[in-house]
Amino acid sequence: MLRRVTTPEGGATGRTPTSREPLVVMSGVDKHFGDLHVLKGVDLVVGRGEVLVVIGPSGSGKSTLCRTINRLESIDGGSITIDGAELPAEGKELARLRSDVGMVFQSFNLFAHKTVLENVTLGPTKVRGVKKADADRRGRELLERVGVGHQADKYPAQLSGGQQQRVAIARALAMEPKVILFDEPTSALDPEMISEVLDVMTDLATSGMTMVVVTHEMGFARKAADRVVFMADGELVEQADPETFFTAPRSPRAQDFLSKIFTH
Amino acid sequence: MEPVLDNLDLYVSGFWRSLEIVLWAAAGSLALGILLAAFRVSPVPVLQRLGALYVATIRNTPLTIVLFFFAFGVPAAFGVTWDFFALGTVGLVVYTAAFVCESVRSGVNAVDAGQAEAARALGLTFRQNLSLVVLPQALRTVVPPTGSVIIAMIKNSAVVGAIGVSGDLFSAYRRMASALGYERLPSIAGTAVGFLVMTLTAGAILMVVERRMAVSR
Amino acid sequence: MRTRSLTLAAGLATGALVLAGCGGDDSGSGGSETEPTVAEAPEFAEGTTMAEIAEAGSMTIGTKFDQPGFGLQGLDETPDGFDVRIAEYIAGQMGIAPEDITWTEAPSAQREELLENGDVEMVVATYTINDERRERITFAGPYYVAGQQILVASDNDVIAGPEDLADNPDQVVCSVTGSTPAENIREYLASPGQLVEFGIYDDCISALDNGQVQAVTTDNVILTGFVAGSEGAYKLVGEQFTEEPYGIGIEKGDVEFCEFVNEALQEAADSGYYEEAWTATAGQFEGTEVPDLPEPDECV
Repeated sequence: MLRRVTTPEGGATGRTPTSREPLVVMSGVDKHFGDLHVLKGVDLVVGRGEVLVVIGPSGSGKSTLCRTINRLESIDGGSITIDGAELPAEGKELARLRSDVGMVFQSFNLFAHKTVLENVTLGPTKVRGVKKADADRRGRELLERVGVGHQADKYPAQLSGGQQQRVAIARALAMEPKVILFDEPTSALDPEMISEVLDVMTDLATSGMTMVVVTHEMGFARKAADRVVFMADGELVEQADPETFFTAPRSPRAQDFLSKIFTH
Repeated sequence: MEPVLDNLDLYVSGFWRSLEIVLWAAAGSLALGILLAAFRVSPVPVLQRLGALYVATIRNTPLTIVLFFFAFGVPAAFGVTWDFFALGTVGLVVYTAAFVCESVRSGVNAVDAGQAEAARALGLTFRQNLSLVVLPQALRTVVPPTGSVIIAMIKNSAVVGAIGVSGDLFSAYRRMASALGYERLPSIAGTAVGFLVMTLTAGAILMVVERRMAVSR
Repeated sequence: MRTRSLTLAAGLATGALVLAGCGGDDSGSGGSETEPTVAEAPEFAEGTTMAEIAEAGSMTIGTKFDQPGFGLQGLDETPDGFDVRIAEYIAGQMGIAPEDITWTEAPSAQREELLENGDVEMVVATYTINDERRERITFAGPYYVAGQQILVASDNDVIAGPEDLADNPDQVVCSVTGSTPAENIREYLASPGQLVEFGIYDDCISALDNGQVQAVTTDNVILTGFVAGSEGAYKLVGEQFTEEPYGIGIEKGDVEFCEFVNEALQEAADSGYYEEAWTATAGQFEGTEVPDLPEPDECV
């Protein structure tokens, strides 16, 4: 688990986007918040099975980029397709497409009025129509897998932050999504809980799950990413495999960013 | 209180008539109010505006005008010939729903936005999102103000007696005091007691519900 | 600004009078046919009210100004109606011509005061005789017995009287909340829900127009007013099923004047004036019947 184990479709050479079957394709994506131009014609392809880590200074638009992929943020221009299908506007069609895209939030967002197990089974039973007994069994398996199996009948508020975030990952996995988006999943955690979440994510990466991870955890990026994308001011400034990016960043802005991070 | 006791059947039948109005109006205004609140928090701009327009119009119109509109305006304009009990109850529903809508909406807004976002990300539809995630959590904040709205509605139901509905609790007073010639003070006291029975019961039910919700979770 | 709003108010008032005048024309156009006989130099015992009035050559009478068929003020500011005609006849018996009568409006709540203060010599104003009022004034008459009746739309052929209500529970009847007429009608209903109550009769009429109720009930005199204004849309049906005797109010204890008025009423009936006066005024509305002069009460 120290290094990423090569996946069947990926392989050791599969770190460039072109060599994988494209799963998420963003082209010319524009997004404004009022006068602020947060995404400036972003082009990005995420391959199937790829683990993509997005880093950059705060306000660079990386979180917004992540949220546009399942249309939690609408876009003003360009297009986004997932597995070949364009994201539709609001409605049932969008809901169906979203169910194939898992999401893990910075602040967990577990359903406060539901038990841990209910959090994990809600999607499968209500969206996928899975029978409750089957969803429960699968849910407990997933909770076991992320290490919170014995907490299944508690309410989220009774869990630590790290445990909650692991439940959130299990909740996303329960939908058997094509890709999971992680929007700064460890930023709201106490330092001692960060690693338990990163371990789960690393495991997941190893298993071949397609992941888009917005994070400040450079250790995770180095260890688990197939590719690192550096964003600044709403643009993709640089992308490379983690080894290249962290040892020899080409752009001055990436160099500047990395130097600031690693002096601390 | 002797005049009231002598004519107890008048008050008792008035009580049941008023209770009938109140129960229908409560069910109707809760249903319509929740629907309107759903409009107001929906992602569809047309529905949002429709809900906002409804609330702005109805909430700022005196109840008697809404009731008279339903008693005379609607029948004259659309040829509806419902009885005044139905028209009065519908008027009360329409009026009260605006207030229910606002208390539900404020409860929905009090639920953390991340809850709805997580539900959307899972692929729940807007309706599932509201009914499975947002409204159950809003309920706790929604119940106390909505309870106040319903208690106010019970009191407002006395006005329905002024638009043709006879035999309700308030008509009982007027019949006692005018046509039957009893003294006004005991006559109105009997009506007041009838309304108190309804409002105090509603208040007690509300308290039980609130306590129940406080225990769970 | 002040002048202007006063002018506006005056204009509105004139408008209202014009409207009222239209109703008045309907009810009183036959005025010239039934001129009361004016006695020439009648003789009365010294000190009686009649002698005083005859000597003065004029008198002041209180009546309603807003009651179609009985006392309704027209454009020329002179009221007309059955009450007015009756009062004119009595005045004529004392040698007072109609043009020498000063009419004073006598709303229901002020009638006793007008007599007690001596503002008027006589009140003829749909004035129901009862013991409470007899404490303060004396009644001559009665000259007419009003009573509760039922008003329906002209094309209603189901309701011909209160007895038809119980057999037709879908025919809803309206009256004023807490009023005696509302109380009286209850015994005729199939169920309490057949009665609808509002604060004023105008709301009952609106509900009738909308088809929400099929009948309105109260005193025939009030209903007559609505029939008068309806241009044939409404009619009165059935007999009067309660009795409200209308008397002529005079100063308390003036027995001589009271007896004189009763004699005058009898003469009006005998001469045919009473019937003519009725036919020319309140009798013009469909559903009304020519009344007989009731037996007078004892003058006290």
